[in-house]
Amino acid sequence: MSDTRKAIRYFIKYLKPYKKGIAIVILLSLLSSGAQVIAPTFLGRAVTDLTNYLADLKKGTASLNTFYSALWSMLLFYVLSQVAIFIAWMVMSKFNADSTNDMRENLFAKFQRMLVRYFDTHQDGKLLSLFTSDLDNIFNAMNNAIFEIISQGIMFIGTIVIMFMVNQQLAWTTIATTPLILIVSVLIMKKARIYLDKQQDEIGDLNGYITEQINGEKIIITNDLRKESIENFKTYNNRVRNAMFKGQFYSGILFPLMNGLNLLNLAIVIAMGAWMIISGQVSQAIGLGLIVTFVEYSQTYFQPLTQITSIYSMIQLALTGARRLATVEEQKDEDAVPNGKKINGLQKAVKLENVHFGYDENKEILHGVNISVNKGQSVAVVGPTGSGKTTIMNLLNRFYDVNSGKVTFDGVDVRDIQLESLRNNIGIVLQDSVLFTGTIADNIRYGKPNALMDEVISAAKQADIHDFIESLPDGYETKVNDSSSVFSTGQKQLISIARTILINPDFLILDEATSNVDTVTEEKIQQAMDAVIAGRTSFVIAHRLKTILNSDKIVVLKDGNVIESGSHEDLLKEKGFYYKLYTDQMAFD
Amino acid sequence: MQAFKILIPHFKHYKKDIFAALVAIIVSAFATLYQPRLLENIQRAIMLDQKDIVVRDGIILVVLGIVAIISGVFNVYYAARIAQGVTSDLREEIYAKIQSFSFGNIENFSAGSLTTRLINDMNQIMNMLMQLFMQLLRMPILIVGSFIFCIVIIPRFWWATVIMVALIIGFGIYVLKQMNSLFDKFQKTMDKISGRAQETLQGVRVVKSFNQGPQEIKKFNQTSDRLNNYNIVIGYWFSTIMPAFQLIAYLVITLVVYLIGQGIAAHPTDVAVVSPFVNYILTLLWTIMIAGMTMMQFARGNISLGRIKEILDTEPDIKFNENASTDILGSSVEFDHVSFTYPDGEDETLKDISFKIKPGQMVGIVGATGSGKSTLAQLIARLYDPTKGEVKIGGHNLKDVNETALRKTVAFVLQRAILFSGTIASNLRQGNSRARMHELQRAANMAQASEFIERYNDSFDHEVEERSSNFSGGQKQRLSIARGLVAKTPILILDDSTSALDAESEKKVQQALEHELPDTTTFIIAQKIVSVVHADTILVLDDGKLVAQGTHAELLKTSPVYQEIFKTQKGKRGGK
Repeated sequence: MSDTRKAIRYFIKYLKPYKKGIAIVILLSLLSSGAQVIAPTFLGRAVTDLTNYLADLKKGTASLNTFYSALWSMLLFYVLSQVAIFIAWMVMSKFNADSTNDMRENLFAKFQRMLVRYFDTHQDGKLLSLFTSDLDNIFNAMNNAIFEIISQGIMFIGTIVIMFMVNQQLAWTTIATTPLILIVSVLIMKKARIYLDKQQDEIGDLNGYITEQINGEKIIITNDLRKESIENFKTYNNRVRNAMFKGQFYSGILFPLMNGLNLLNLAIVIAMGAWMIISGQVSQAIGLGLIVTFVEYSQTYFQPLTQITSIYSMIQLALTGARRLATVEEQKDEDAVPNGKKINGLQKAVKLENVHFGYDENKEILHGVNISVNKGQSVAVVGPTGSGKTTIMNLLNRFYDVNSGKVTFDGVDVRDIQLESLRNNIGIVLQDSVLFTGTIADNIRYGKPNALMDEVISAAKQADIHDFIESLPDGYETKVNDSSSVFSTGQKQLISIARTILINPDFLILDEATSNVDTVTEEKIQQAMDAVIAGRTSFVIAHRLKTILNSDKIVVLKDGNVIESGSHEDLLKEKGFYYKLYTDQMAFD
Repeated sequence: MQAFKILIPHFKHYKKDIFAALVAIIVSAFATLYQPRLLENIQRAIMLDQKDIVVRDGIILVVLGIVAIISGVFNVYYAARIAQGVTSDLREEIYAKIQSFSFGNIENFSAGSLTTRLINDMNQIMNMLMQLFMQLLRMPILIVGSFIFCIVIIPRFWWATVIMVALIIGFGIYVLKQMNSLFDKFQKTMDKISGRAQETLQGVRVVKSFNQGPQEIKKFNQTSDRLNNYNIVIGYWFSTIMPAFQLIAYLVITLVVYLIGQGIAAHPTDVAVVSPFVNYILTLLWTIMIAGMTMMQFARGNISLGRIKEILDTEPDIKFNENASTDILGSSVEFDHVSFTYPDGEDETLKDISFKIKPGQMVGIVGATGSGKSTLAQLIARLYDPTKGEVKIGGHNLKDVNETALRKTVAFVLQRAILFSGTIASNLRQGNSRARMHELQRAANMAQASEFIERYNDSFDHEVEERSSNFSGGQKQRLSIARGLVAKTPILILDDSTSALDAESEKKVQQALEHELPDTTTFIIAQKIVSVVHADTILVLDDGKLVAQGTHAELLKTSPVYQEIFKTQKGKRGGK
């Protein structure tokens, strides 16, 4: 499917619920444009009436009655046109906002359903710009372009129809130059687009250069490279200068060109009108009225041409935004297994059975891994970086699914268990803790929003963070967010441990943080970890020797294979890789 | 408008273009203004049956159209030249200014903010200049001109025009005030929206594992609905502007035409005035509206100018002595009662530190995170100046030296290995632009990088991609060390730069440094004590204070802090 069609399908999908509103807007636009087109005819008539009146003055039969009625009609139609526009815009503001709101809420809901893989493979900044820049572009374009397209389209056709009804000869004269104008503007728009694209590319390059240089500024300074950096900057900057000049020039000349052509067209129309009077085709009074009317028409006729060229770039941006949003909507959802088995606690064991997995189809990371964690056991996984430890965690909680083999929970393949039920039974403490905007209490009861305050406090006490929270002026009601400096990295981790303690999961996955925290906090984290592990079945990606020594079973992972497993003593006796890890001054990173 | 001054020196280079642009603006503005007047004359001539005048004015109208096009196109041409020229020149000036900043200056602004200013803010300024040389100077001519014409055409009804302008401006200001407070609320809610979205992106695993998707959606929708309400109300206000303005104009038009009709017997030539009057009134209306919009854009451009001015007004807080010698300073390092506080910090990061390092020594620096190790190293490279005390290299106080001399003396390998897009060779040569191939090879050998460089067909010419994504963390660190070695400086600082290397490679790098650079004074900052056990002397930092100095063996006996660090790490290293 072509990109533009995809974008348009997206728009149709979200505008469909507002069919009634759109119909009203179209009707009112018709009404307004109609009134807008008709009103000048009354102005023309008023001028004609005045001219006649002057002529009749000499005869003594003069009356201004027709003039007044023309004038009132003109005012009536102008008022009508503006009232119709006003109502149309009110209606449109409402459904445009509502429709964009639907897009935004659906996008967010989609984010909640999508695979973790999608988030792991896309930059946060790019996804966020869907909410900020893309939806904004769409909203702007809908507010401006939709009405413009509808009303200008109606206006354009309407003006042509009325012009032909009023006077065919002058109507033909007015539109005669149009094909030429269209060709010229299409040619210029094409050029403008080429150079505007080039301008965006060059700005992107310059942006890249600046980002790289300033982020590496310490290297630039310490290697005395600042003069070179400025010299190279000039090269990029000049490329931007040249591309931008052309982009601005070509996109800028369209408007004065249209304006000038409008004037030329007026001259042609007037010349034709004057010739019609002078050659006696029409009376002076009628001719004068015609000229006044057609001077107006020629300008309303040109307006759509100028307007559409000025919202051209806005429409382009909105189409790009809609395409991006549509692409996100196409992404695969997580399989929630709605009819799957519901589980309630762990009875026997969690097992990985001959698991093969790779994030990339062609790059297998786990090559047939077998691990079993029996109820009540604590299993520590150790191994060098890149051995696949974190990957296993991703599979247990179904952030990713195995390529072959299976992960079982009491013998049932996790892919056959209702996803919500599975995750309810598994608690997880990640390496990097995340805080959500809200109070500290909200963060601790994150997994169980209706938890009582007693439960929150008891969890915080077990995680050894209660005293610190109490020491804050607002205690548990202190407002936090992920970047706030209320907590240190270590304390954030304690909060995330408390969060997991509160939901009291049967099976626990812990990814120990390697980040450097001060010794006191490290001790606290250690104790909190012990507290959360005690009495539960757990699977720990371990970095601390103490955690490893406390576990019932150690699994050594290397290059995606389990190479050793057993108790600390057994493994030391084996004198294998674990022994080497343990004795060879190598950290369990 | 204070900030506008920074543009003036740059305008001077474009005097001719500015002159040409102004001429084009004036010509095109008058062409626009003269047009309804001309229409009036033509109509009057038709009415009075003056054929020659009709023909003459008809030709003038055609000429006017052509003049409008030519002056319009020239206007755009020169406006674009000035806008591009001035913004590009200004951007160059700012970039050069940034490159004169100390690292502290840059951190104060933050790299992201500087980039935004150089790109987004400069774009705003470019748009503003473009508008200035196309619209804004035209606006006064058009507004005043059409205002005058409205009055001149029928002087009797001058008050009608005045009333219209007053009503429009009054209403416009009222609506803008209403919308300003709404925009403010809208922007704040928008920030919340992106905050919420960002949180769930970062915490996607937490949200999913706690099954909180539905709750998150509920919370998000609350905020989104609030944003939507603001959007709707803003939309409603917007909907009133245009119809209200037009309605005002049409009422005034009707009134004036009505009065013309009433007095037509006394002023018969007024018939020809109707159409041009309507034209001028509508031109006036449009011009005021466009001027209003241009002013709004101008306000945005002015904010950007202010942000650019901030950069230009910032004085580099580190200045080198350009008159001092450019010779290498020496290889001894001395800290004399050095204290340091970060510009935005409250507490001292380094507290009264004094030590002397002899030429050729290998120095280890250890301590907990936040104890001030990296800060200390950065003072040696004068990325910052000490708040108190002196840092000396070869006996020279760093505040008195020439920058070139210092850079020739000290090579600094950073904690975070950063490579620039280009090739491996171009990155290594950043250390020394004249380095020969065999010198690159030697540095790569010492940094244990040769092994993987040689695996590429194009070896040292292998490309470094954007964000150096084609290298692993360990490879980047090795290349970054090699870059430091290429410089062959008498002092080398390795700031935790072997953290991503495995134990064996790390050991090899250290051995190479020891054997091949015996005369180089080397500082090794490390998290792990194992990385510094062989150092000639180890500095132990704790909370910004130098609490102990000595060899590994000495410190194990005397320093409790060192003992504790050693104890916590011992477990990991098999209880040796």
